[in-house]
Amino acid sequence: MPVTSMRSKLPVAGALLAAFALTLGACSSGSGSSAVPQENAGSGADAENSAVFADAPVADDELILPGSTMEAIRERGKLVVAEALDAPLLSQQDPANPDSVTGFDADLAKLLAIYILGEPNVEIVPPASETREALLANGTVDVVFNTYTITEERAEQVSFAGPYFSSGLAVAVKSDNDDIKGIEDLGGKTVIVGANTPAVTAVPEEQPTATLVDFATDPQAVQALIQGRGDAYVQDYTLLASNAAANDQIKVVGQPFTTEPYGIGLKHGDTDFKEFINEWLLKIQEGGQWGEAWKASLGTVVESDIPTPPAIGSVPGS
Amino acid sequence: MDILIENLELLLQALGTTLMMAVVAGIGSLILGVLVTVARVSPIPVLRAAAFCYTQFFINVPLLALLILAVFALPDAGLLLPLTPTAIIVLTVYEAAYVAEAVRSGVNTVGVGQIEASRALGLSLGQSLRLVVIPQALRAVVQPLGNVMIALAMNTALAAAVGVVELTSRVNKVNLVHAQPIEIFTGAGLVYMAIALAIGLATGWVERKVAIVR
Repeated sequence: MPVTSMRSKLPVAGALLAAFALTLGACSSGSGSSAVPQENAGSGADAENSAVFADAPVADDELILPGSTMEAIRERGKLVVAEALDAPLLSQQDPANPDSVTGFDADLAKLLAIYILGEPNVEIVPPASETREALLANGTVDVVFNTYTITEERAEQVSFAGPYFSSGLAVAVKSDNDDIKGIEDLGGKTVIVGANTPAVTAVPEEQPTATLVDFATDPQAVQALIQGRGDAYVQDYTLLASNAAANDQIKVVGQPFTTEPYGIGLKHGDTDFKEFINEWLLKIQEGGQWGEAWKASLGTVVESDIPTPPAIGSVPGS
Repeated sequence: MDILIENLELLLQALGTTLMMAVVAGIGSLILGVLVTVARVSPIPVLRAAAFCYTQFFINVPLLALLILAVFALPDAGLLLPLTPTAIIVLTVYEAAYVAEAVRSGVNTVGVGQIEASRALGLSLGQSLRLVVIPQALRAVVQPLGNVMIALAMNTALAAAVGVVELTSRVNKVNLVHAQPIEIFTGAGLVYMAIALAIGLATGWVERKVAIVR
């Protein structure tokens, strides 16, 4: 009898072992690949801002043209997106929970995944600003959501859907600085900018005599401004507003002095995919998901109503 | 290639910064490194311990961490230096640790008998180090020192992360406008390759010149 009872326990033990192995596997895939995290349906972050994903549109089957990029994504079962992991309010990875990436860009990427796949199955490839064109050209990623300003030079390398959002650069100074009131006062001054941000080219256009110092990340730039390495810090208005809200040593002066239309980067010449995404943008703008995504991210630091989204294709290069 | 030629003036300026950083930090680290080695092989326990700690600290802390510390932590301690000198100083003290390790291996090639002989002949410690040990030690480690110098030249690129406009930072900016990463970064890579090659060839030439004929 003891032998039989041993035998009857064996499958149970096997199942337990298998479950344990699965859990281990799940853990290691979660922490081991934290550089390229997978966003899965039903993760904690999705539940939090469910308003964004409520009734998110899903594409009809006839929109998924045979042989198109959309079909390839649907067959693969996940959308590969180039998006930052360190952009507050736009696409920020939670350090305590690498699977949770939140922000405006991140939410839109999930919405696009829902539109194509029916579930927010996104694989993130963190891009450097300098590799976005190459990532698209060699097919590493399907789309780029990376505050990717639409310019005509870039439009020769990649196709842009959208613009999906319009922002602008503004000026921040130390709280005790009353001399600088905006971009017009920056002539001959030392100006801190984020490396590889639109400010690198926009500031010299407005103020050719300004000296530029660029830092790799936004927190570094803020620190440099507070420590006096520059007279002012030029960055996206929303980002500056959130910095100023969190840190009373700096303040934002004047109004945004540029318009930065952000587009969704696609492989150059993929017109079917571009039309498909533009159609999706219209749907989420009308359906309210676009506004909810804004409210849950950028809208938390500025006191204004949901902005009007820019018209699709309204910018040279889109 | 058009893009690189269009921006030639800015790129050359940035290349100048890169070379200047490499040369100044290179000379500085060679001098500092030899001094650290002298301390390391000296008979004074405190100096030996200090030199040991110095090399271990700088070899085991990543350069990028040191750069960010120097740029963002020192101002909080009341020391605000311009960015390029800060980067050069950090590069110097960092690479000096590697120079010191290379030179120390050269010191080990000098026979104990020679040091005993020089002391027996009445040379002071300083004299025997200066006239007997270090000249031979340096001749033995020309190639390793060349490798440290090549690493130093490549490491100048990290200064881009803390706002120094050298070659890497400049090509990043050019790419931001023109969006031709493959062409632009291949071009920059070739320039770095040429720098490494030049240092390597120069090292080979020096090594042949100063080789100890036994």
